[in-house]
Amino acid sequence: MAAEPVLRLKNIVKKFGAFVALHGINLDIRDGEFLTIVGPSGSGKTTLIRLLVGMDSPSEGEIWLNNSRIDKVPANKRPTCMVFQSLALFPHRTVGQNIEFPLKIRGVGAAERTARARELLELLRLPPHYQEKRITECSGGEKQRVALARALAFDPEILFFDEPLSALDYRLRKTLEKELKDLHARTGKTFVYITHSLEEAMVMSDRIAIMREGKLEQLADADGIYTRPVSRFVAEFMGEVNLFDVEGTAQGGLHGRGVEVHVNGQMEDIGISLGQGERGTLMVRPEFVRILESSGTSDFIVRGILRAEYALGSRIQYEVEAADGSRLSVEKLREDRYQGAIGDELVLGWDLDSTHLIRED
Amino acid sequence: METGRTTRIVLYAYGVLAICFLYLPLVSVGFASVSQARYLSFPIRRYTIEWYGEALDSHTVSSLLTTSFTIAVIVTVISLVVGFFGALAFARYQWRYRNLFQKFILLPIFFPQAVLGLALLIWFNSVGIIPSWKTAIVAHLVWISPITTLIIAIRAYAFDASLEEAARDMGASTWTVLKEVTFPLLLPGVVAAGLFAFLLSWGNFPLSLFTTGVDSTLPEWLYAKMVSGYSPLVPTLGMLSVLASLAILFAAFLVLILAKSFKQARGTE
Amino acid sequence: MEGLDRKLGVFSALPIFIVLAITFLAPLFVVAAFSIMPAKVFSLANVPDFSAYATFLQQGYWKSLAWSLGMAFASTLLLFIVCWPLAYGMAKVFGKFTLVVTIAVVVSLFVSENIRLFGWVLTLMKGGLIAGYLEAWFGVEMESPLYTVPIIVFGLVYVYFPFMLFPLAQGIAMVPDDARQAAADLGASRWRILWEIDLPLAAPGIVVGSLLSFVLAAGALAESKLLGGQAVIVFADEIETAFTYGQNWPLGSALSMVLILIVGSLAIVGVSKIDLDAIMGRKR
Repeated sequence: MAAEPVLRLKNIVKKFGAFVALHGINLDIRDGEFLTIVGPSGSGKTTLIRLLVGMDSPSEGEIWLNNSRIDKVPANKRPTCMVFQSLALFPHRTVGQNIEFPLKIRGVGAAERTARARELLELLRLPPHYQEKRITECSGGEKQRVALARALAFDPEILFFDEPLSALDYRLRKTLEKELKDLHARTGKTFVYITHSLEEAMVMSDRIAIMREGKLEQLADADGIYTRPVSRFVAEFMGEVNLFDVEGTAQGGLHGRGVEVHVNGQMEDIGISLGQGERGTLMVRPEFVRILESSGTSDFIVRGILRAEYALGSRIQYEVEAADGSRLSVEKLREDRYQGAIGDELVLGWDLDSTHLIRED
Repeated sequence: METGRTTRIVLYAYGVLAICFLYLPLVSVGFASVSQARYLSFPIRRYTIEWYGEALDSHTVSSLLTTSFTIAVIVTVISLVVGFFGALAFARYQWRYRNLFQKFILLPIFFPQAVLGLALLIWFNSVGIIPSWKTAIVAHLVWISPITTLIIAIRAYAFDASLEEAARDMGASTWTVLKEVTFPLLLPGVVAAGLFAFLLSWGNFPLSLFTTGVDSTLPEWLYAKMVSGYSPLVPTLGMLSVLASLAILFAAFLVLILAKSFKQARGTE
Repeated sequence: MEGLDRKLGVFSALPIFIVLAITFLAPLFVVAAFSIMPAKVFSLANVPDFSAYATFLQQGYWKSLAWSLGMAFASTLLLFIVCWPLAYGMAKVFGKFTLVVTIAVVVSLFVSENIRLFGWVLTLMKGGLIAGYLEAWFGVEMESPLYTVPIIVFGLVYVYFPFMLFPLAQGIAMVPDDARQAAADLGASRWRILWEIDLPLAAPGIVVGSLLSFVLAAGALAESKLLGGQAVIVFADEIETAFTYGQNWPLGSALSMVLILIVGSLAIVGVSKIDLDAIMGRKR
């Protein structure tokens, strides 16, 4: 797949009166990729997608689609389209009429429209007789598919999604996430997806862009975001994580509160080192933390008392209170569950290669 | 999709224009009421308020005002009582014929009032009732009690039925629930409905026209004069009627503000 | 709880039902009964016949009916066109200004319609507000538009303005914004959105507003009397004459019945189209 940008955002700023919703976003979206923009509410992701679709125009900056500048072009003149959070299906039209709508606007003849709608129903795995079905009679998942079919009927250069799955129940959401990923592969279109759920983003996306307070915090693939976050914000946004404040020592090692560091030398090789007096955050995900024998050893060690145990389904989560009062979480697969009891004194340890150092300015 | 700036400006201008269009005739009436000439023509050369003095001194006028006022008060009271319960049946309780009932309440509003007035006249005559200001009350109710019902119903829709259930759950009887929960919650709707009932009855003309017998309300008397020829008292009394409506609106507004500040004062104690 | 609701529903409905039975149903029955009485009787204790309806057909009353219905139709059409932009503004654009417009329009309803119509007479008559000032300031002489058919239609548009405006605004408010946005996103122009989305989805409001305006205008009396002079005799005027001046109750009743049947069937269609729970904002 060529890494040619289909959509290019240059220093996009959006202000609402005195409030700055977007502070200079730069982003290249590659042709044919599935890019997900993730952020908590208020991070500016919805503002951004409204600009991308053309429902609003940026205060500063430029948006380029292929070789034409589109930031001043209204939504109805842009060759892109969006699947709305509410889906925005026309309640007074049948499934077929909804799908045909963009073709009708373009003046496509009735026979061709019907044929195209039938193809799309098939693509979305809906039975052909749904053409006559009323929107109000469709289930949540069916509506989702109809909205997708309608957007595909438009044949957009880029298909945008504004959290279309957020209103659905967990199981249906999981199914549709996979279907969307599959649909992306089958159509080869560029998908730009907005969500507040990083979990959703991880399942589907080629690349993930994380937004925070109107800025782009990190842009990477799922693996990069999960294991090498650039900030505490990204690390914590992805769910459970253990973070330690650390400082570089004179010997080139690390000194941290509440954590014993038992490695020297090789830390530099994998980038986990700080200059003398430099501060950083050491990160380890709960599933990489091991519960050691009392005499066991590891690159990093924390001692504490087991305070609570939570069943998470396939995994068990343990909450451990360290000597300095901070709390750590540890996760084990069910078959590896810890056999002791609440109140036990534990020694926790993990290795250098499952550790990441966050340097924030 | 934002509405464009130009579109917004045009729409606002249109709104202002529409309001001017609604009130322009009253401006004319206002000017006419202070013109000295016995035969009105614009531009007005001499202004006077003598017609107001004459109107207020006249016995006819005071009896017209009394009749209109009495009718409006009684109509308000009755339409509020039936409207309050009607609204509960309309919006709040789930009962078998609720849908049919809703449509039935709406039907009189869809009928031309002059025709209803005539029908009422025949009905009174055929059962031997001689029309007077009392029959006008009955006539006004046909149109005004559905309106009070609808206004209170809007409030009843917004209200959370679980509040009543909670009160009942704590042992309150149906009557106590009504008094302690339902009525206080619907009170704003009742006040608004009362205001509408009074003002609509006060200004009503087509229903009064055929149903007051020898008595006459203010709008009716004005109509008779308008059709039979111009009198300088017509604009004056018209203005007086409008001013009375405004005064009542203003008074209601004041009471509302006072009640609010009183509540706040009690709340901060 | 359901059984209690059912009982309370019936009891609460009773008072207003009784009021409307006395003030609405009973008069309609009496009129229906009188309409099949022989001419010029004042009691229902006569042998029924249909002579009054025959008179309606033979004596040209249908002309007045045609005028009334025609003017009602014209005014409804005009009202729809005039009210749509304002209703759209109120539902989608104005924000706080919607409240200003609403209050202004409602307060105007509190003023007797005959006083307001009389105001138009003063405004439009020869030497009235407009003609008088035009002549005094610009030396332009203007013919008074009073006492013609168009001015009656104008009066109907003026008086029934709120009855079209509010249902329309309510109807447009029910058009979901995202459907309009999605249509724009899929390439529809402003006119296309109006045609494909706004009009069909606001249809309940359009139907109610139009029926209400039409029905009320068809039975209107004051507009033609005050503004129209004797330009045309409207149907409500004929009914009044039959009852009062003509002292022919059966004829008046038959004429009323004709109007009531037309108006009533439209009203029932209109009322049955309304999902009151949806329009009035049911929360459950």
